[in-house]
Amino acid sequence: MKTRSLILALLLSGFGPVSLTAQSLFNAAGLGVPIEALDGRARALGNLGIGMPGASFMPTDPAAVARLTYSTATMAGQPSWVDYESEGGLSGSFQGSRFPLLGIAYPLFTGTMSVQVGSFLDQHFQAESTGSVDLVTGPVETSDSFDQDGSVSNLNFGFARMLGDDIALGITVGRYAGSVIRTFTRTFDGGDVEGLDEYVEEGQWDYKGVSVTAGVSADLGSSLRVAASVQVPSHLEAEASDDTDGEDGEFALPMQFRLGASATPAEGLMVTGSLSLADWSSTEDDITGATRAGDTNGYGVGVELSRARLFGKSLPVRFGFRRSGLPFSFDDATATERAFSGGIGLSLNSAGELVLAGADLAIERGRRSGAGITEKFWRATISVVVSSL
Amino acid sequence: MRRYLKTSVGHRRPGTAIAVWIFASMMVTACDEITPTAIGDGDLPGEPITVEVIIPWSEFASNLEAFGGYGSVSEVGSGFLASAFAGVLDARTIVRFGGYPDSVTVVDSTGASRPDTDLTYIGGRVVVFFDSLAHTNTSPVTVRLGATQIEWDAESADWEHSFDTINDRRPWTQPGGDFVDLGSAIWDPAAGDSAVFPVDSAQIIAWSDSTDTSRGVVIQLTDPGEKMRLRGAILRVDTRPSIRPDTLVVVTAVNREVTFIYTPEVAAPTSGIRIGGAPAWRSVIDVSIPETLTGPSEFCALIPCPHQLESVQVSSAALVLTSSASDPAFQPIDSLGLDVRSVFDRAAMPKAPLGRSLLTDVTGRRVGPAAFGAGAGVTVEIPFTSLARDLLDGVDASGNPAPTSLVLLAILEPASIGFASFEGPGTAGEPYLRLVLTIGPSVQLP
Repeated sequence: MKTRSLILALLLSGFGPVSLTAQSLFNAAGLGVPIEALDGRARALGNLGIGMPGASFMPTDPAAVARLTYSTATMAGQPSWVDYESEGGLSGSFQGSRFPLLGIAYPLFTGTMSVQVGSFLDQHFQAESTGSVDLVTGPVETSDSFDQDGSVSNLNFGFARMLGDDIALGITVGRYAGSVIRTFTRTFDGGDVEGLDEYVEEGQWDYKGVSVTAGVSADLGSSLRVAASVQVPSHLEAEASDDTDGEDGEFALPMQFRLGASATPAEGLMVTGSLSLADWSSTEDDITGATRAGDTNGYGVGVELSRARLFGKSLPVRFGFRRSGLPFSFDDATATERAFSGGIGLSLNSAGELVLAGADLAIERGRRSGAGITEKFWRATISVVVSSL
Repeated sequence: MRRYLKTSVGHRRPGTAIAVWIFASMMVTACDEITPTAIGDGDLPGEPITVEVIIPWSEFASNLEAFGGYGSVSEVGSGFLASAFAGVLDARTIVRFGGYPDSVTVVDSTGASRPDTDLTYIGGRVVVFFDSLAHTNTSPVTVRLGATQIEWDAESADWEHSFDTINDRRPWTQPGGDFVDLGSAIWDPAAGDSAVFPVDSAQIIAWSDSTDTSRGVVIQLTDPGEKMRLRGAILRVDTRPSIRPDTLVVVTAVNREVTFIYTPEVAAPTSGIRIGGAPAWRSVIDVSIPETLTGPSEFCALIPCPHQLESVQVSSAALVLTSSASDPAFQPIDSLGLDVRSVFDRAAMPKAPLGRSLLTDVTGRRVGPAAFGAGAGVTVEIPFTSLARDLLDGVDASGNPAPTSLVLLAILEPASIGFASFEGPGTAGEPYLRLVLTIGPSVQLP
């Protein structure tokens, strides 16, 4: 596959918001639920997107791109199935697919440049209510619905290079993009009034902002890698469209710190761990309504058994666990997410430790809880990597 | 050194295709999206209020005017009979049949089917079909058939004239048409929906010349005090083919043109709203939606007054009419479909171009005939929400200035001799505007 084809494929896939639908009831709180732009390998290992061996291609670990020595494209898709219940006894389910990561990397000068589109916040949800109004001719049933359709994405341009054989540095400049459309609709049903049109009140805002992410990773000996990154964002600005009555908004975003490490204590065995720190509490001042903002601090651990093979191809088996907070919740409650994960990798073509063509599958069984709401979910992540010499 | 790693499998990489296939398979997984719906009402922004406001005629409408003469009676496509109905209305139907078939196919003495163009007309009959849902009589009535004697034009003929076009106006020699009586028949609505008039061979031959524009039959009702609608008429002709003279073959000529003539002419209304008839009537009104509401008190108890009305807040805008009894001679005998449209240029009436129907129901707002007779006083809502919104915005969906006049008309015109009547301004049942408003806060960011 030619590099031009890789770029074309990425363009055709769309640079717009990458979230096609929602993942959680907590999308209704504050600015929504973060979507991590992780591949299937990181998901299977419970990793938070940093410090894994080999080359990886995630916005959370900008230095890792330096180890991509060929033109590479990666894509990830993520269907999920969620069952929820509330303390009030309400329950239900929903499902959907999203595409949290698209990217290409290309060797340039003495390093590797990259373009990535990653998801950042998912804001899609609906709310419904029914009632009635009394007109002269009698009562008319009403159905109110509120539909919020939006997400925030991050378009990143990065450059990374090796310093010697063991240390990699990377920096990424990102631009937040996306939009949200908030629509309130009241429809009428029944009654003697003819031609009762629905009432629609709608507002649309476009998001913009920038972020800079810097990272470093180092191989300490032949079996240990450590990595760290920090992301410094600007405020997230929401600009109302011309025909929107609602006002513009500006939201403080937190700095995000990540630390990860992986080790190979024995041949065919790899363990990894990662930490993530981000305090969203300052965002709470910019949000109206009964929403609480907290930290999303989290950790993840995992193990990979890489000696398994299928039809002569390497078939690593992975397990992991992760726990992190959700930035926004309802009322004064906090919300967390934790998940056990497992998965496999299928390396179809490799060069040394680099996978030139492969797919990674992760299955997570997790739980989100807070504010009297519990969600249990199955989440699959499938990512593919295709490289060109 | 990093840049010189070699691939372990060379340049043929079926793995790439497999990876793409896996990813594509994943793309269709869980494609049946189900959006999470928040639990409870807490995630709805401020709830709007839906209220109803009644606005009297003087505050939203003016310049009611009725215009008549739309369409031709022949466009109704059916006939009409009346005899001194309500003491005044007489109506007759005139029909011109099409040409007879040139040939028939018969079986000859050898058993073969052959076309035969040498036909001998030996007689026939005119069959008239009545609308069993649109008549006033409940007992048998006598209907007479006549043959027209002078040229007549279905498009323009009326009670006084056989032709009434711009350059050709010819009166009948006697009002109501020149015809020779061909006989009578009894129509009993309890027995069926048709009446049959025998016609002799001489008349059948006389009608065989399809270029003769004086051909035609006049159907009239002789029993006074009734009226009815005719669905049409056909001419059945009995013929003997030359190759099988022992066989009777019946051929049919359908009505090519049908119209009706009536007297007296309908006078323009002095007040009130008139819709329909044949030719049809339309009523035009100038309208304006109040941009600021200062009442009524029930409204201001819910919404702070004065309230600046926005188009998005109009859930419904309807003209509420109260039916009145039409002239007894022209009361409908079937339901009418009412329509409302915007008038692009009031000054150009009666020929002003009209906008599209403002109703969503293509059959129009149906009103039964009783509302214009003994059951007068029925309120009828004619919604025109989209025009009301345009009036508040000042422009229509295309950005053109919003029309400030609307016209009330029949959804199909002309459709019937009967017309609808409604109370006009200044009466107890004068039209009023009914607004259903939904007013809520603007949507804001979370």
